[in-house]
Amino acid sequence: MLDELKALGVNTDEGIKRFMGNAALYEKMMRKLPENIKAQNTMQHFADGDYEAALAATHTIKGVTGNLSVTPLFDAYSEAVSQLRNNQPDQARQTIENILPLEQKILDCIING
Amino acid sequence: MSVKSDKSILIVDDMETNRALLAMGFTDLYNILEAENGKQAMEIINAHSDIGAVLLDLVMPVMNGIEMLKELNNTGKINHLPVFIITSENSEDTLSQAYSLGAVDVIYKPFNLNFIKSRITNIIELYRHRNELAEVVNEQVEKLSKINQSMIETLAALIEFRDCESGEHVKRICGLTRILLTSISENYPEYYLDKVEIEKIVNASILHDVGKISIPDSILNKPGRLTKEEFEIMKQHTVKGGEILEHIPNVMDKDSYNYCYDICRHHHERWDGRGYPDGLKGDEISIAAQIVALADVYDALTSPRCYKAPFDHQTALNMIYNGECGTFNPKVLDTLRRNEENVKYEHETSAE
Repeated sequence: MLDELKALGVNTDEGIKRFMGNAALYEKMMRKLPENIKAQNTMQHFADGDYEAALAATHTIKGVTGNLSVTPLFDAYSEAVSQLRNNQPDQARQTIENILPLEQKILDCIING
Repeated sequence: MSVKSDKSILIVDDMETNRALLAMGFTDLYNILEAENGKQAMEIINAHSDIGAVLLDLVMPVMNGIEMLKELNNTGKINHLPVFIITSENSEDTLSQAYSLGAVDVIYKPFNLNFIKSRITNIIELYRHRNELAEVVNEQVEKLSKINQSMIETLAALIEFRDCESGEHVKRICGLTRILLTSISENYPEYYLDKVEIEKIVNASILHDVGKISIPDSILNKPGRLTKEEFEIMKQHTVKGGEILEHIPNVMDKDSYNYCYDICRHHHERWDGRGYPDGLKGDEISIAAQIVALADVYDALTSPRCYKAPFDHQTALNMIYNGECGTFNPKVLDTLRRNEENVKYEHETSAE
């Protein structure tokens, strides 16, 4: 699984290093990522026009993907957080929609891995 | 790696991944406590006394990090507990708000555990040291105040020992002084008396007659009227009291010393300037000395002496109101009138 994730741009070496070499714990936490992201209901908040909730959601995903070094998602959600802060919700939504296909691949890889 | 501490670290983050990462970093050094939001965290803090630090996420459901910091401020816990903000937040407003609410440091996600471990461990030890020092200082202050008190009581016991007055005299003076001063503070705000001042004056009143140590037995315990010469020597107990205190200024705090000195020297002054030793007049005499003077007179009248039987309460009051024991401040006399029943009760109960 880790090799496939690496191929999708996840910096697994850095992530495992952050977990002080504990690859098992890193992998265990990685397996929770799909549920973590799903639970945030990010796109629903955008659809509802509840940008405060959208900010909390993107912010939370930014934190987790950062700690796991899921770099492409971390970059995209960081960008979305800044855009929401600058009162650019449409751009933020676009940023996330752009990353959704890759996000789905990464999550599928974790779920099936 | 150092030995595991007896302290706990409380990790507050709604995401398990973030908690697990931090927990892993500190589990070899500290006990780990975890909470998913500020509310849970506050419950844990209230139930544990061993928490050395809080690692706090900002964006959380139920109660977020800023709300929790406010709560820690309201309860005063922030002063003893270092809180680290762990966040991917980079909004300056939020972070400066966190700092102004007492957060000690901000750690950004994603973080390098090895770095933040030393930062957090250092602060925990610093706070532990500071909290322990504060405890030691408090203990010392308490000890000093006890020594203060027992020094005053020791000196008072010495006078009692030599004097023909009963050992209860000092206690009654304290009781009367407290009753009268409390009433003064309620009716005459111009004297700026609060509870703390009143207790200091009450304590100082214990030593009003310390100068009697220096008066010869033949005069102090003479079973009859004093001659004019003897009375002049007797009057010296006020000045001598001040001199004795001047030799031991450091056994009590400055306020207590000032009250003791003033009361020793001036508790025989009178409102019309006809008292001694300095012939002070009116409010040149401190309210503390005026009140102890009245308490002293009342107690002397109502107590048996080698040379006289005690007067009853009402007779003593009448003698004071009639000016037979010198002139007092009208406000002080009004205060006595207002408190006749309390004064009588104090006199009767302490005589038992």
